[in-house]
Amino acid sequence: MTYEKEITEKIMKGESTSDRLEIPLLKYLWDAGPISFLSKEGYHDFFKKIPVLSSFSDNEVRLFTKFLHRREFQPDEVIFKQGDTGYGFYFIFSGSVNIFANYNPQGNEQGELVIKLDSRQYFGEMGLLEEYNRRTATARAGENTILLGIFKPDLERMLELHPVLGAKFLREMALIMANRMGQLTREIVSLKKKLKELELKG
Amino acid sequence: MNRNQKIKLYLFTLIMSMAVIFAITFPRLTLPFGFAYIIYLMVRPLTVRLITGSRRQRILYFFLVLTGSILILLPLAATIYNIDTSFSAFTQELPEVQKVLQEKFFALKLKVFEKYGYRINVEPVSYIMIKIETHGSDLLTQIPNYLSHLFEWLLLVPLFLYFFFMESRRSSNKLLEAVPNIIFEKSYVLFSQFNTKFGEYMIAKFIEATILGTIVTIGLSIIGFPYALVLGLIAGITNILPYIGPVLGVIPALFIALLSKDPNASMAGMLFVFAIANLIDIILVFPLLVSKIVNLHPILVVVSIIIGSQLGGIVGMIVIIPFIAFFKLLFIEIYKDLSVQL
Repeated sequence: MTYEKEITEKIMKGESTSDRLEIPLLKYLWDAGPISFLSKEGYHDFFKKIPVLSSFSDNEVRLFTKFLHRREFQPDEVIFKQGDTGYGFYFIFSGSVNIFANYNPQGNEQGELVIKLDSRQYFGEMGLLEEYNRRTATARAGENTILLGIFKPDLERMLELHPVLGAKFLREMALIMANRMGQLTREIVSLKKKLKELELKG
Repeated sequence: MNRNQKIKLYLFTLIMSMAVIFAITFPRLTLPFGFAYIIYLMVRPLTVRLITGSRRQRILYFFLVLTGSILILLPLAATIYNIDTSFSAFTQELPEVQKVLQEKFFALKLKVFEKYGYRINVEPVSYIMIKIETHGSDLLTQIPNYLSHLFEWLLLVPLFLYFFFMESRRSSNKLLEAVPNIIFEKSYVLFSQFNTKFGEYMIAKFIEATILGTIVTIGLSIIGFPYALVLGLIAGITNILPYIGPVLGVIPALFIALLSKDPNASMAGMLFVFAIANLIDIILVFPLLVSKIVNLHPILVVVSIIIGSQLGGIVGMIVIIPFIAFFKLLFIEIYKDLSVQL
């Protein structure tokens, strides 16, 4: 439920909205507003348009952005390499990211382009959740790209400081993982089907 | 790596090197800064739960630092005079200790010569005597020096501590922005792990040293042993060093026992007190507080302490252990990466 809805419902029910003014929240809402010229970052709008985080209230988005790290990458710059230890999860704020997989780990080549990710997409969630994660693909910036990353220490800090927000974020991460698992299962089924067809033909 | 990335990496290395040079050049500023940072790491887990997120964060942190300063630093400053006087008296007795040890050694030498006809070589013993005199007095005179700086620190440490509470997150994020992308992920995670481990290690060691120091002070006071407070303080501080700390802590008390009218009785009483204190430490305090935090091989610990003492005296001996634990973590990470690439 968004902050606006929450307040509207309270007013409709005749409940008190708040006993004191929350200056940081007001400042944030002002900065995030469409008429504000102070909204340099635009994180609020960005996260509101990411479906998987749509359940976050305005205040939760405000708190969530405090745990993020803004990283800028130049075209073709490596974000992480296949086989590297993974620690973080990235949202693409602007630009694009190319994911390459090298099916021959002994070879030095860049690998095959698996997918191109654009703004508002995300990658690297396994790095945040697994204890000892190895990146299964290489990520390179497609153009001048800004990423918003969250890393293991940030997640631990979030769970410590704002457990409800942390749990909510983990739930969304579980949803992302479940979606990926669903995609993989469908792909395996389709590949098995193709294999069977080939066997029957052969 | 392209040209821009290389420039960024070189620039970052240059800034880091300059920061290290600045830290070495201005120890009067960097030492309280480092000390405040250690306290911040120690109390952070508690304050994070109590204060962060509160609407009156700034006021609460201000009162926390103020109350902490009054409760901890002022009584310490008030006892400086007593500790300083005891230390002065204690160091004045060092030549006496040396004299007694020399007399006992020469008596032993004569006895051996008379009985077995073997002449013990004097040179190594004389060398040890000189070492005891110089290092012993250096070590003991340094502690009051550290304590006398407390007044200057009384102003600087709370100021830096308040800065860490209020601004550390924002400042570290700004600093992290300057870290090149190629090393960001790993260095950020390792730095966070080091901060957590270092804070946990220091708080565990502080509690352990306080418990041991208190037991030794009370025990020695009960048996009427002189300089109980100073010896308790030394035992507490040296106990911060794993393995060799308890042995180092007992040495000054051994010398004092040698000077007493009845050396055997006072030595037995003193050793009993130290044995009880160390037993409580080994059986109760260490397994519960410290053991799981720093998992290093004993030989590595002893070698690290020797290196630490050469680099930074007593402070170096204490601080080197978490640094070695950090480097161990770093090497494991690098080794894991290399083993994947090979």
